[in-house]
Amino acid sequence: MGRYILKRVGYMLVTFYVVVTLTFLAMKMLPGTPFKFANRLTPEQLNQLKHYYGLDQPIPVQYVHYIWNMLHGDLGGSFQYGMQPVTEFLAQRFPISMQLGIESMIIGTILGIVLGIISGIYRGRFLDWGTVTLTVVFISIPSFIFAAILQYCFSVQIRIFPVIGWDTPMTHVLPVISIGVGVMASIARFMRTEMVEVLGQDYIITAQAKGLSTPAVIYKHAIRNAMIPIVTVIGPMTAAVVTGSLVIENIFAIPGIGSQFIDAIITNDYPMIMGTTELYAALFIVTIFIVDILYGVIDPRIRVSGGKPA
Amino acid sequence: MTTSNADVTKELFVPADLNDSVSEQISGESVSAWRDAIRRFVTNKGAMASMIIIFLIVVFAIIGPHFFGYGVDDQDVSRANLPPKIGALSWIPAFSGHEGGVDVYKEKKITKNYWFGTDQLGRDLWTRTWMGTQISLIIALIATLADVCIGVVYGGVSGYFGGMVDNVLQRILEIIAGIPSLVWIILLILILQPGLVTITIAILATSWLSMARIVRGEMLKLKNQEFVLASRTLGANDGRIIFKHLIPNSIGMIIINTMFSVPSAIFFEAFLSFIGLGIRSPQSSLGSLINDGYQMLQIHPYQTLYPGIIISLLLICFNIMGDGLRDAFDPKLRR
Amino acid sequence: MDHLLEIKDLSVVFHIFGADVQAVRGISLQLNKGETLAIVGESGSGKSVTSKAVMGLIPNPPGEIATGEVLFEGKDLVKYSKKQMQKVRGKDISMIFQDPMTALNPTMKIGKQIMEGLIKHQSLSKHDAKNRAIELLQLVGIPNPEKRVDEYPHQFSGGMRQRVVIAIALACNPKILIADEPTTALDVTIQAQILDLMRGLQEKTGTAIILITHDLGVVANLAQRVAVMYGGKIVETGTLDEIFYNPKHPYTWGLLSSMPKLHAKTDKLLAIPGTPPDLSNPPKGCPFAPRCPHAMKVCTEHMPAYTELSATQKAACWLLDERAPKVDPPATIGVGGES
Repeated sequence: MGRYILKRVGYMLVTFYVVVTLTFLAMKMLPGTPFKFANRLTPEQLNQLKHYYGLDQPIPVQYVHYIWNMLHGDLGGSFQYGMQPVTEFLAQRFPISMQLGIESMIIGTILGIVLGIISGIYRGRFLDWGTVTLTVVFISIPSFIFAAILQYCFSVQIRIFPVIGWDTPMTHVLPVISIGVGVMASIARFMRTEMVEVLGQDYIITAQAKGLSTPAVIYKHAIRNAMIPIVTVIGPMTAAVVTGSLVIENIFAIPGIGSQFIDAIITNDYPMIMGTTELYAALFIVTIFIVDILYGVIDPRIRVSGGKPA
Repeated sequence: MTTSNADVTKELFVPADLNDSVSEQISGESVSAWRDAIRRFVTNKGAMASMIIIFLIVVFAIIGPHFFGYGVDDQDVSRANLPPKIGALSWIPAFSGHEGGVDVYKEKKITKNYWFGTDQLGRDLWTRTWMGTQISLIIALIATLADVCIGVVYGGVSGYFGGMVDNVLQRILEIIAGIPSLVWIILLILILQPGLVTITIAILATSWLSMARIVRGEMLKLKNQEFVLASRTLGANDGRIIFKHLIPNSIGMIIINTMFSVPSAIFFEAFLSFIGLGIRSPQSSLGSLINDGYQMLQIHPYQTLYPGIIISLLLICFNIMGDGLRDAFDPKLRR
Repeated sequence: MDHLLEIKDLSVVFHIFGADVQAVRGISLQLNKGETLAIVGESGSGKSVTSKAVMGLIPNPPGEIATGEVLFEGKDLVKYSKKQMQKVRGKDISMIFQDPMTALNPTMKIGKQIMEGLIKHQSLSKHDAKNRAIELLQLVGIPNPEKRVDEYPHQFSGGMRQRVVIAIALACNPKILIADEPTTALDVTIQAQILDLMRGLQEKTGTAIILITHDLGVVANLAQRVAVMYGGKIVETGTLDEIFYNPKHPYTWGLLSSMPKLHAKTDKLLAIPGTPPDLSNPPKGCPFAPRCPHAMKVCTEHMPAYTELSATQKAACWLLDERAPKVDPPATIGVGGES
């Protein structure tokens, strides 16, 4: 197990390094400049600015410099906000995005698991048919369209929830639903498939043959086995939700990392784009790693065989 | 169960002339895997309905922009923000040309009908919506076709040759997969400048991964099966094995995966256009129309409504069709 | 009429893809206390479905017991409610399955899997149930049971897992044990061990066994009486000796001939040509007629009635009718090596 973890950490670092390098190169290849009034500046002024931001040095020097600073926890300063450190922005906004993502994941996952279990048990009946139809619709409709519909219905027409913002619990409802519905649908679909698969297994018949009641068979034998693979989808989904929530943050004007990212892209704020990208990548890589390890802990088959050097 | 003895006469006790073909006959009609899959697909009502809806949308995307002879970018502020009006359907509130109880057409003295209304620059939304659908579909189609080609070749080579080649290709794939696809796409778009080609490339850059993985998995599974081994012992070369055995046997999986990459490509295009990184005005795509309309959502919701409905319908139908194909090709996965 | 289990005119239908597959078509069987009855037949003959019907485990939908009774100690299990049936399963009648690799829940300790039935039926405390589970593991010959009781199924080999499955089935001292192809998925050497174990356990506990198999070797090893099934019907029943040394039905002849023998005179394996009938559209005559080398016109049109050959043996075949031409069983059915 230890060797496996070590190997995985190695891969994680390599992947992250590749992301950092790619982002850096991408920034250097960007057309346009980060300076707002570039066309009104004299070449001298422009050069001064470039010198000030260290953009006049050869690219390899800039690269080494960037990596060096990064290892010391410095991602540079935002061009847009007078060289205020990028890390400061991220530290301030990341928790908000995280909160939005986690709230949506928790609600979506719980509802999804319940729906999936019900659907799997009543496979082929009306209830199942309804759930399957519902999940296809919810998986298909893009979250931003869903958000727009919710906003129009429940904030503009019927004024129950605030249109935008992120402070009182009421402001959380619509954004969390917008993201959570997709999560719920995906999890429900996956859970249903697993449930149907598990219910067809021989050990379910063994359990029935012992004389256990149907609820006992489903609860003790089916659900646990069906839940294990769910862990594998929850991880990547969390990462996708946290990164993908940027449209929702934009629509509901939530001061998270996503709206910051869009802002940075529009204004060519290189250090900010890079910082956000790297944070996203790190988040993604770490979640997938955690899921892999978690999976091994939950599933006894992997837990034990992973313990022996295979 | 048993018959009374009266029916059983002595004459029946003679050997029956059963030819071998009767006893060897396989009960039930024998059908090839392909015909069987098609038969299952055709009986799937949801999938067939979805196919018809997609077909209709495609037809409208082709002929729709030519209905009224407006260009995509024909602006006329005098007819800005007209709600939808269809003469024959004006008894339905949504198509009456009224907004907030006022007949906007009368007020602005406009006699022509705009079926989906007009936007803030007075452009006909019917024309723009179907034009946008066309562009969304084209992007999805190209991205998907390219993703099939790259994915099949990459996955095929990796899975079939295995060993060192597989190892190297898989490490590369792992690293690319380690980057969130959104970040990857946005970086590409930033470098290449938004536009049709860029979006296609950006979508392609991430979508081939899953195809490559699936094809590799299929190859690994198939290449060690006995019929391949048998073919090899009979002297078949790599090319023959790949094209005669491996590809035909994995084509089902490839088709299913393709069916799921189309909606994801449509979604990504809309997503990017919505955050302003996609198709730029005056061109339209479903995503950019929703983005334009979204600015006016509180006053003129119809401007978001129609592109929103079409994209949702497209995505739902492609997903249902994908499910249908999966059930048809792989009864094991039938759920 | 004091059989332990009596199946009367049992029919099971599966409604699949618009067709009605008649998997079991009106069979009758008896099982006495402490005996072993083997139900023999090729795949699709309805033997597994029969066993599931006795357990009340026919998946519904699509399956359904269309007619018939399953009398256990005189009471009809078909009429039992779900709750009543749960009290019979595992306690009075229990079952062991073909594939020990899949019959155990992979994420539950085997001890717990044995304990479940004990807690349910005998209301044992957890502690007592665990002690009993250890005893049972000992009984089925698993070494070091105190330690292994806390292990997961994947830590056991195939043969060991089948022992665990047997332990689960025997936990509550059932009166009937249904063994559905108990050795098919095992290595030959392990097969013999499991059969020995089952025979030994039956001597100790006096449990009646219904053995479902296609392997006549297993039948010869374990059974006292044999029922041969074909196309959803029982074509011949009798004692072990009657079926092996004096079979009357051409299908039984075919089965016996197709058994590979150590000292065979030919190198050829004798197969029964043809395929079993399509049970969604069952033939109106004898189901075996299309494959039968002695088929007559009557066979394809009328289902033969049972002919009682002795107090214990009967067969359903028109060849046993007095009007039929005399046919001798093939010479190839000599049961060499068996006794």
